[in-house]
Amino acid sequence: MIYLDNAATTGVKPLGVKKAVANAINNLSANPGRSGHMVAQRAGEAIYKTRQQVADLFSSGSQSVVFTPNCTQAINYVIKGVLQEGDHVIISSMEHNAVARPIHRLKTDGVIDYDIAQVIMGDSEATIRSFERLIRPNTKLIISLHGSNVTGELMPIKELAKCCRDRGILFAVDAAQTAGVIPINMREIGIDFLFIAPHKGLYAPMGTGILIAEKPIEKTIIEGGTGSYSNLLSQPDELPDRLESGTVNLPGIMGISAGIDFLNNVGIDKIYSHEKQFCRVLCDELKSISGVSVFSALAEAELGAPVVSFNIDGLTSMETAELLSKKGIAVRAGLHCAPLAHLTIGTADIGTVRVSPSYFNKHSDIFLLKRAIFDIKKAKNIAKRY
Amino acid sequence: MIITGTITYAIRGRDILRKHGYSANMEKTKSTLNHGCGYSISVSGNIDEITEILRSSAIKILDINKQ
Repeated sequence: MIYLDNAATTGVKPLGVKKAVANAINNLSANPGRSGHMVAQRAGEAIYKTRQQVADLFSSGSQSVVFTPNCTQAINYVIKGVLQEGDHVIISSMEHNAVARPIHRLKTDGVIDYDIAQVIMGDSEATIRSFERLIRPNTKLIISLHGSNVTGELMPIKELAKCCRDRGILFAVDAAQTAGVIPINMREIGIDFLFIAPHKGLYAPMGTGILIAEKPIEKTIIEGGTGSYSNLLSQPDELPDRLESGTVNLPGIMGISAGIDFLNNVGIDKIYSHEKQFCRVLCDELKSISGVSVFSALAEAELGAPVVSFNIDGLTSMETAELLSKKGIAVRAGLHCAPLAHLTIGTADIGTVRVSPSYFNKHSDIFLLKRAIFDIKKAKNIAKRY
Repeated sequence: MIITGTITYAIRGRDILRKHGYSANMEKTKSTLNHGCGYSISVSGNIDEITEILRSSAIKILDINKQ
């Protein structure tokens, strides 16, 4: 199987990640932050070490790093934790449902109002103007993804952060597709909340998410035991405890730690360069096939998240993906949980086939994919004749 | 014994104190349950200087038990 669905989760995890997860289960199976015995303390140290690694990687405070079960929950903690009745929110027209659905829910509940800023492909300045036009006196939060999970389009987060800072608006970035692939310096950019899917670009196991919260989160949506202030019935004020009720996923978190070690050893620049080059070559190859439409920032721009979407004329994206699966190639098809993005690029009716490489994909995978697409087109044309 | 409440404060505080040359350790709070179950930093030295170092690093101190 050639795995090209790494934007959903990285298919090959580094050996160090597998060993770290096994080590957590075999040697550190104790509840961190609860008991006082040696194993529990060592588990607590392992969690803290990972917090520091995450903080170093994204330039934040270690106490701002909150481990969550996935990126979607991290997003929900912020959306439902900072927004109050009467607030206004702006999201981009490329957002994943992880952002769009909780925002929409708060609107339908009559709590907030929101607008969608139109992203203009390849034109950052026009995109920024789209956001600026929608700002109201009661705009409390702007949420933007960093890189689209459909096209890889990168959002001008540095400029958006400045726009928010100048107006006293909170700024949250969904870095599910870029964390670990493209460097993000929270403090330099001015990001208040960062959402990370470590099982993607950090090569950690699934069932892991990270929220980095540099601003307070007033309301909690989950309360419970934290191992601290247990004499009180109210939730602790301090992060990370405020948002980490219940037993944390120690094997997953130790996998995050090993994933960051992997990134640091190989180098994020080297990983991004490899994936970007893969996508560039793939775009060129796909564009050379008649009847294939390509949607990828990296087809034209210098920068973009390593994602390439395409369609074959006469086939829905789901049909193409199924045929590729039968040929041993794993890609994702459909709307990729991002209907807003498909409305933006005009593919809401058939979706797209998405190819997303990781550091472990070889360039030979591109040519096997191209051959498979040729075969699918050939078979389709023969079927048409009969 | 500096009672910090959370394990994150306790480990971070311990590491900061060690960088300042103190021999500090993190442990489960044993002396009191006034602040619930939690963690403390065991350290010896000038308490005024230690608390100043911790407070300037935004480590929340719940209590100090001088032994």
